[in-house]
Amino acid sequence: MGQNRRERQEQLLGYCLILPAVIYMLIFIGYPIVYNWIISFQVVTAKTLGSKVRELAGFGNYKAVFAEVTFWESLLHTFIYTAGCLVIQFSLGFIFAVFFAKKFTLSKYIRGFIVISWMLPVTVTALVFKFMFAEGNGIINTILMSLHIIRKPIGWLLNGNTAMFGLIIANSWVGIPFNMLLLTTGLNNIPGDIYEAASIDGANSIQKFMRITIPLLKPTIMSVLVLGFVLTFKVFDLVYVMTGGGPVSATEVLSTYSYKLSFQLFHFGEGAAVANVLFVCLFFVALVYLRTISRDETM
Amino acid sequence: MKRRFATLMALSLAVGALTACGSKTDATVPVESNTAAATSSASSESMEGTTTGPASAEGRQEITFWHYMSEDKEGKFVKQAVEEFNNSQNEIYVTAEYLPRKELMKQYTIGVVSGELPDCGMVDNPDHNSYASMGVFEDITDLYNSWPDAKFMEGSINSCYYEGKLYGLPWGNNCLGLFYNREMLDAAGVKVPSTWSELEAACEKLTTDTVKGLAISAIGSEEGTFQYMPWLLSSGGSVTDLTSEGSKESMSFLYKLIDKGYISRECVNWTQADAEKQFASGQAAMMINGPWQFSGLEEDAPGLDYRVAQVPKADNGTYASVLGGENVAICAGANVDASWKFLTWITSKEKSQEICKSIGRFSPRSDVDIQVMFADDPLNSVFAEVMPSAQSRGPSPDWPEISTAIYTAQQEVFTGQKDVETAMADAQAKIDKLNAQ
Repeated sequence: MGQNRRERQEQLLGYCLILPAVIYMLIFIGYPIVYNWIISFQVVTAKTLGSKVRELAGFGNYKAVFAEVTFWESLLHTFIYTAGCLVIQFSLGFIFAVFFAKKFTLSKYIRGFIVISWMLPVTVTALVFKFMFAEGNGIINTILMSLHIIRKPIGWLLNGNTAMFGLIIANSWVGIPFNMLLLTTGLNNIPGDIYEAASIDGANSIQKFMRITIPLLKPTIMSVLVLGFVLTFKVFDLVYVMTGGGPVSATEVLSTYSYKLSFQLFHFGEGAAVANVLFVCLFFVALVYLRTISRDETM
Repeated sequence: MKRRFATLMALSLAVGALTACGSKTDATVPVESNTAAATSSASSESMEGTTTGPASAEGRQEITFWHYMSEDKEGKFVKQAVEEFNNSQNEIYVTAEYLPRKELMKQYTIGVVSGELPDCGMVDNPDHNSYASMGVFEDITDLYNSWPDAKFMEGSINSCYYEGKLYGLPWGNNCLGLFYNREMLDAAGVKVPSTWSELEAACEKLTTDTVKGLAISAIGSEEGTFQYMPWLLSSGGSVTDLTSEGSKESMSFLYKLIDKGYISRECVNWTQADAEKQFASGQAAMMINGPWQFSGLEEDAPGLDYRVAQVPKADNGTYASVLGGENVAICAGANVDASWKFLTWITSKEKSQEICKSIGRFSPRSDVDIQVMFADDPLNSVFAEVMPSAQSRGPSPDWPEISTAIYTAQQEVFTGQKDVETAMADAQAKIDKLNAQ
């Protein structure tokens, strides 16, 4: 009995300790989310934005948004962008992580140097890449031309397909060091004696990599991918500054489309609906991630 | 239990992602208050202009005024005017706050819900109707009707009316013209083009490997629509009938110039400020732009020998330009009396004339004769001449959507995604849908 009471008291204390954090979350994170869901079911336009009582729209906003081609395009673009970025930044980040784990002279410094791109404000990165990809005097065209890889300058950000490519490159430049850092931490956590034991057993380096590094790094890889997905999927600033969703709507992603609906066209209800689609996508990714993690733990 | 925990974690991850994005935008709101700067400069007494003693807010009614005249350029003059007003009386103290245009617009929208609006502020005139319909601004019809000095040009004051009520006062006007680099035109032996065929011929001679004939802005925003308007209007097109022959002709003509390489394809990503940079750096021999660029050109290329002419007209059309500019308005629930006193002071004949001149605008007042005012100014006189016939956009609370339809069509054509026929028909369909609602 006594044991039980003490346990309950401890539990109570625990709840008390997390209470401030919970209240904070509810007010500053919960409220905006709930508010966003509410207005997505209301008729919120320029005229009704200020009024306290708004007409219910039911699924009207969602229906209106789903009927727009631009919505489906931006959903597709968001996925293409995320997939492209993840592939490039993860593979290169992994290669860099393994490479710098070799601990050669200056490796620490060079690694630190690479991380700079991750620390720059995204707006700065976006502007720099916008200049570099310029058709007329951008450095990328200048280099490619002088190497005779291309004959005529390419309007990287002027053409639908290449504009998306430009965005992916710019974001990967930021994402590679982020992936590298997390994977490096994961690599450092693998005890060296396992490799030693494997060497004694006669394993070659490929076998060591495939049988020791990859399996032991799996949880890290999963977190890197999911974090990368979430961070990439919700992109706004980079697209907004580099292309503004254009040309036409070739690089429109969910976040910029939602912004455009709300703050340029004043269809606040529809803007909120798009934001919620973004939310649901991220929610599912996070769910899948936690399922995989917990399954691994129970194994 | 474990599953519920997982769901919770997933929720918080997703939520964190969303709100992180939200809070970031809030954090970057660059509200820069001029109060500190204003008081310090007044106390140091070193500023040019009025230094009749430090003005302090103590014991006065304080009001805030939002504007988007960039700090380092036109904003200086706004600050000076506000200081002058603060020194001229001891009843009201105005604090001017600068926000970039887009940010300012967003803050008005947010302010409707949060209630955090300034007392008065500036608004781009095609947007005025939308914000009035949103309830951002106070109805000042009665105040205006009893104001003896209420003399504004019709097109300008009309943009302040929404459903028969007045929601603001015109602050400054501008319009578009053709800027040309005299040196380049002389070297190529080209005379200033006044029609579309002359423009095309001139571009052909002026365009080289490193120089484009003409720079325009066709960006996917209001600026893109603004820049397209003179072409559209000149060939007899209109925003209500984009599928007419005249409308299509204007779009085809611009596309031809891009297709032939006379205008950079990059114009779809250029703002008007970007076009100015191209012209200033000698990468474009001509550009379409407005009088607010004079100060920028002075700074970017002090020695540049340039002049302004009317935007060339369609071969069988007339000269046309588009009215741009800002209005000022009193926000809902603000200190109306104090704001009215300030706004009527700053838009009075004398002040309007003075401020507009320094910020590269034209006074919207009907009692200021801009043609006389700029008679011997070779650059401004051209704009002064165009001004009275410049057509306004809207006014309509649906203007943002109409404008979106137009600049989207323009971008579709310029990037080669759609032909003129289809793009214009699609844009017209969007506008028809609005009218049907």
